Amino acid sequence: MGALMAIIYGGLALMPIFVGGTDHLMHILIMILIWGVVASCWDLIMGFAGIFSFGQVAFFVIGAYASAIVANKFGIPPIFAIFVAGGITAAIGVLVGLPCLRLKGAYVALVTFAVHMILEPFLKGPMGRAIGTGGSRGILTIQPIEIFGFAFTPDHKVAVFYLTLVLAILCSIIILMVIRSFWGTAFLALKDSEDFSASLGVSAFKYKLAVFALTSFLTGMVGGFYGHYVGMLSTRMLGIDLFVTLMIMLVIGGIGHFPGAILGAIVTVTLNEMLSPLGSYRPLILGGLVVVLVLFLPDGVIGLVRRFFNGKSKIQEADA
Amino acid sequence: MLIEYVDVFISGMTNGSVYALMAVGLTLVYGVSKAFNFAYGSFFSLGGYLAWILLALVGIWGGYISVFLVALPLLMVFGYVTEKLIVAPLRKRSDWEIKVMMLTLGLALFMDNLFQVVFGSRMKSLPPIVDGVLEVGDLVVSYQDVVIFILSISGILAFRWFLNNTRIGMAVRAVAQNPEGARIVGIPKDRIFAATFGISTVMVGLGGVLLAQKYFVSPSGGWDILVKSWVITAFGGMGSIRGGLYAAFILGMLEAFVGYWFGMTWVLFALFGVLLATLAVRPQGLLGKWG
Repeated sequence: MGALMAIIYGGLALMPIFVGGTDHLMHILIMILIWGVVASCWDLIMGFAGIFSFGQVAFFVIGAYASAIVANKFGIPPIFAIFVAGGITAAIGVLVGLPCLRLKGAYVALVTFAVHMILEPFLKGPMGRAIGTGGSRGILTIQPIEIFGFAFTPDHKVAVFYLTLVLAILCSIIILMVIRSFWGTAFLALKDSEDFSASLGVSAFKYKLAVFALTSFLTGMVGGFYGHYVGMLSTRMLGIDLFVTLMIMLVIGGIGHFPGAILGAIVTVTLNEMLSPLGSYRPLILGGLVVVLVLFLPDGVIGLVRRFFNGKSKIQEADA
Repeated sequence: MLIEYVDVFISGMTNGSVYALMAVGLTLVYGVSKAFNFAYGSFFSLGGYLAWILLALVGIWGGYISVFLVALPLLMVFGYVTEKLIVAPLRKRSDWEIKVMMLTLGLALFMDNLFQVVFGSRMKSLPPIVDGVLEVGDLVVSYQDVVIFILSISGILAFRWFLNNTRIGMAVRAVAQNPEGARIVGIPKDRIFAATFGISTVMVGLGGVLLAQKYFVSPSGGWDILVKSWVITAFGGMGSIRGGLYAAFILGMLEAFVGYWFGMTWVLFALFGVLLATLAVRPQGLLGKWG
């Protein structure tokens, strides 16, 4: 896991040498890093913790808005605002997780998806305007992140890229540590036999809530970072097509095959960019793609690779 | 003033009856096969578009009666084939529950955009199923509301009769109670799964035909319906048809009155608040069993 992660991020880190001059390609690389973290968080929730959360994009957007509002209204420097945003998102995550994480999978999926569905009317409506979401216009000016007087604006794509890379690596290390820690073992046990592990004193609810809060925090923080990078926000991100795009990353990477989700992000963001000339046919293709991929690529790219190296991979998996 | 409240009440009753029909369809599939269909809202739009094609494009003879005769069997076939083609192959896998949700979500995006490409983003309206109003003193009730109410309630009653009195219905209940046991006594489990999926498609499609004449058909109008059906199902109790009925009327009323007093934007918040409160206090819903 760790080695593959190092290779992926190492490869990405070298990319600006080749495409550093092209702003558009640098933007794609930055988005790959951002979505890679969001997809990895989702993978941690769904693939490892077994929580059917469908609120990942919602948490991303909550974090983005929270960070922008905190920075704009209270004048908190953006570099701290993204952590505040992470905290706010985690609090909302716990609030949503408390009533439903004890229940079965479909409940969690639907409640978290309902959060996604009501977020748009909330942000556009009177309540949202009252806290400064700008209604249906969105937030048009968000100050960039500044460190020691250097502003990471979209004009300095290479600098932003490396800052994103640092953030992405930090988040991925945290995710990796969780998977390898006592928590990860607990989730493995819960997945194999919930009753038996409960009898040994593994509290499913406690760990699920903790992981839900942690991934909400990371997702919200990355969302905040995204907001400060692009400089404006609207509720358009809450469209189903972005949600499905994120899902494609997970399916291509393989659910529960960290760091496959990062690979999935590389493939999907690139693919999505290539599809954009197709206009309104793009979401149509994305939707069809999910159906095909779920049916014919059960364990994602990582699964394919593992199956290719058959017996050997089993031992490696046991080690990891 | 009082008359206005009665109007709101009637609107709540009408919508509630259609919601009940659709919620029962949703809980049926989940109760029998544990598959959750995220494309349920798109099936609702499909029903609306089918009716629009038949009435406005084809100009079918016989009006709505012909629409029901043509569209409902088509929806049944569509649901059955969809289950067989894309849901059933997933059942063999260990993580199939989440895979079904992801796949149907992709299907929903696909269908919504297909509607958009084929029919355009402009909303389609359908003629009312019957014209005219019933006047009792100051009170005005449109026959349309009455017929919608009667049709949805008969749909639910017909479904209950089917479940309790026919051999297929009994097989459906057997599979819901104990899939292994049902297989041992020779019930073709896979076909029952596909059949329930088809039946639920008919129910939500019928809901689409009925509601499309009061509101509109639009490519992404189904998401609201998905969330509402789900909230009703969870509120009433998974797998309990009676609970779903009560819940649909309670939430239909809540929707009508919240919409009347505070405006339609607050309806989703109200529904979501009720759902979270219910799950916190009574996780199994009004009449549901645990789990």
